[in-house]
Amino acid sequence: MVANGDGFGALADPTRRAVFERLRGGPRPVGDIARDLPVSRPAVSQHLRVLKDAGLVAERREGTRRLYRIDPDGLAALRDYFDDFWNEALAAFQAAAESEGREQ
Amino acid sequence: MSETQTTIQPVRRAVTVERPLEDAFRVFTEGLGTWWPVATHSIAKDAVETVVMEDRVGGRLYERTTGGAESDWGRMLVWEPPRRIAFEWQITGTPTEVEVRFTPEGDRTRVDLEHRGFERLEDGAERRESYNNGWVTVLERYAAAA
Repeated sequence: MVANGDGFGALADPTRRAVFERLRGGPRPVGDIARDLPVSRPAVSQHLRVLKDAGLVAERREGTRRLYRIDPDGLAALRDYFDDFWNEALAAFQAAAESEGREQ
Repeated sequence: MSETQTTIQPVRRAVTVERPLEDAFRVFTEGLGTWWPVATHSIAKDAVETVVMEDRVGGRLYERTTGGAESDWGRMLVWEPPRRIAFEWQITGTPTEVEVRFTPEGDRTRVDLEHRGFERLEDGAERRESYNNGWVTVLERYAAAA
């Protein structure tokens, strides 16, 4: 999950970002997502799995096919992830800035 | 499953450092590579050598590995030393936006950070074209710089 895992990692990969991007217009099957991407369909499925594990993408069955969509709850989790992310970054900044001050 | 656009609250964090305004701004921007927690907050993690924020509007924000590979994180949208910067955050796929304000409080400096635009990630297709164009521009700039 993004909330307790690696949101930076889930979307850091450019191809995975491209896969995620293609879901912004609404739910799509994997073949549709893979069509205009320069990677194989199994590779797209793998990226979808990572996004699903990160909570950013949800999947539902419609007859024999699976549709993938952006999970709004996942976006809220991503936001929470960055809450901690910036907290840690600012703490590191504060430590560095004040340690530089003491050295002078 | 909501059909309506949801608004996701921005992330807002603040810290006050025991440093004057100009020093706080300089450490945050020019000194970014000295304090950014790359082990957890980067793409290449332990392979990251430094993080660079270019000091101008349109400048790049990126990480560089010891092998010299560069990965873009975003692009500077506002460069107003020593009071305010803002940058596009491309790590979220569709770019979100981060603004950092520096406010003097005597000899100390309050640093306010806001990361906003998470609802853009769920937006419909109308934004996609402009985003794709923006992404092409970023890649072209990267190719030109590489």
